[in-house]
Amino acid sequence: MSATAMLATIRRALGQTSRIASRRLSTVVASAPPENALLASEVLPAISQTSAPLVGSDESGPVSLAFAGARPLYLQLSSLIRPEENVDPSDELVELDPHVFAHPIRRDILHLCVVHHLDCQRQGSANTKTRGEVRGSGHKIRPQKGSGRARLGDAQSPMLRGGGVAFGPKPRDFATKLNRKVIQMGMRVALSARLKEHSLGVVKSLEWPGFKTSELQRRIEELGWKRTLFVTGQEEIPDGLRRAGSNLLGVDMVTAEELNVYSALKWPRLVLDLQAVEWFERALGRPSSVPPHEYGL
Amino acid sequence: MSGVAARFKATPGRVNLFNLSPAPGSTSTQKRLGRGRSSGLGKTSGRGHKGQKARAGNGKPKAGFEGGQTPIVKLFPKRGFVNQNTKTYAPVNLDRLQYWIEQGRITSSPEKPITARELLLSGCIHQVHDGIKLLGDGAEHLKTAIHITPSRASQSAIRAVEKKGGTVFCKYYNELALRDCVKGRTDRTEAAPTRKTDILWYTSWRNRGYLSPTALSKMPVVDERWQTLSKQLLSFKTQQYEKAK
Repeated sequence: MSATAMLATIRRALGQTSRIASRRLSTVVASAPPENALLASEVLPAISQTSAPLVGSDESGPVSLAFAGARPLYLQLSSLIRPEENVDPSDELVELDPHVFAHPIRRDILHLCVVHHLDCQRQGSANTKTRGEVRGSGHKIRPQKGSGRARLGDAQSPMLRGGGVAFGPKPRDFATKLNRKVIQMGMRVALSARLKEHSLGVVKSLEWPGFKTSELQRRIEELGWKRTLFVTGQEEIPDGLRRAGSNLLGVDMVTAEELNVYSALKWPRLVLDLQAVEWFERALGRPSSVPPHEYGL
Repeated sequence: MSGVAARFKATPGRVNLFNLSPAPGSTSTQKRLGRGRSSGLGKTSGRGHKGQKARAGNGKPKAGFEGGQTPIVKLFPKRGFVNQNTKTYAPVNLDRLQYWIEQGRITSSPEKPITARELLLSGCIHQVHDGIKLLGDGAEHLKTAIHITPSRASQSAIRAVEKKGGTVFCKYYNELALRDCVKGRTDRTEAAPTRKTDILWYTSWRNRGYLSPTALSKMPVVDERWQTLSKQLLSFKTQQYEKAK
C-alpha cells in the first residue's frame, strides 16, 4: 500500500468517527501535523489467510491520551458478512490498547496458564483397591512358622497375586490455584501474540444473517478463516452465527467472558468483534491508580 | 541439593500449545526416595541406619515430647481464666475514616450515618467481630463532619468528631442485631441491652449512648421503642422504695 493511499484511508477512517464506536478513533490527539504523525504510526494489516512472519513496530507516533500516554495500535477491520461492491472493510481502523494487545510476549506465563487449565480439566477418577478394599477374609493363609516359606497374613497383601495395590491412585482433585492477575496477564500475552502473528482480526459485528450452515461455510472458505475462534463481546453468542456455525468443524464461537488462555492458544485464528475488544480493554486494561494520600508527616 | 529440571528454550515463531515451556530455573525435579544408588536417596532413603527415626510412622512418641525433659508446655504454671463474655471491637481510627471519605469510598449524613455495614462494604474494616469502636488516632487529620453510629467510641474520638460538626451515637448491637445491620435487614427488632454494665453504658450521655435522654433528643432518626426503653431503664434513678421501719 503506497504512502498516499495509506494516508487517504487513515484520513477517511478518522473522519468517519460515527461509523465505528466513537471511542475508537476520536481520542487520537491531532496536535502533531497530520502528515508526519500518520506516516510515522504503524497500521497493522488485517488478519491474514496464511501465517505471516512476525513484524516489529517501533516508530514514533501521535501520543493518545486514551491509553495512559502509550501509543495505541491501529488494526485494519475485517468483515464476516460479504461487503458491498465498492466498500473495503480494511479501510476502517480500530484503535487498540497497547497494554492489552501489544504486551511483551511471556511464554512462561502462557505455560503457567495452560498447565493450570489442563490441571483443572483433569477428571481425577483413577481408582484402585487397597488391601483393605479387596474382597476376602482376614484369615492367615499359612502358619507363622514351620512351612519354610515367607510369613504371610491374609490373601489381600500387595505382595501376593490378586492382592490389593500398595500406593495406587485414588480419586483426587488435581486443580491448582493460579493468581488472578497472572491469568489476566496470560490473556493479554495470548491476545498480543495472536496480533503479532497477524492471526487476530476484528470485525464490526458477528451477526450473521440466515441460519444455513452451507452459506457460512462458503464465506469462511472465501475468507480463508479455516480454523478460527469467534469471540463476541455480547452476553450471548449471536443466534445466526451460532446456528449456522455450530455444526462446522473448523469454527467455534465463544463469549469474551468465557474465553480462556488455552482456547486462545489452541485456535490458530481469533476474530473479535468491537464489543469484545472493548470488553477485553475494560477487563484487562491498566488499573486506574488511586493517588496515595499525603499525610504531610 | 534439589534437582534442577532440564532447561529448554521454546521454539521461535508462532506461539502454540506445543511450544510453551516454563521459565528456566522455575522448576526443579521431585525428590524420590528408595529408587537406586545413583539418585543419592536409595536404600536407607536419607534416614541413616536404625534407631527410632528410621522406622515407619511418625518417629516421635507424641507432639511436644522432649525426650523426657519437662516440655516447655509443662514448665510454666497455668494462669488466669478466659472471659467468655468479652467483646472484641473492630477499631476504626479517624485518619483512616478521613482517607476513605476523601477517596469517595464512604459518605455519611445525619439521616444515613456510617454503620458497620458501610465500613465493611467499603473495605475500611475487614471483619466486624463483635461491633466497631471508633478510636481517636489521627484526629488531627479529620477535616469533614462525620455522622457515625458505632458500638463504642473513645472519649478523644467523640471530642474530635463533634469539634468538626459531626455526630457520634453509640448503639448496642448483639450478635443478631449486628448480623442484620451488616446484611441490611430491617424486618427484625433489634434487641435492647440486658446486662447491667451495658445498660449503664448505653444510657449515659458521656459515652453518647443511644438510650440517654440527651441522645434521644439530638438523634435525627429515633425509634419509638427507644424512648420507652430509655424511660424504663432509667427509672431506677428516681424509683421510690418502701423503707423498712
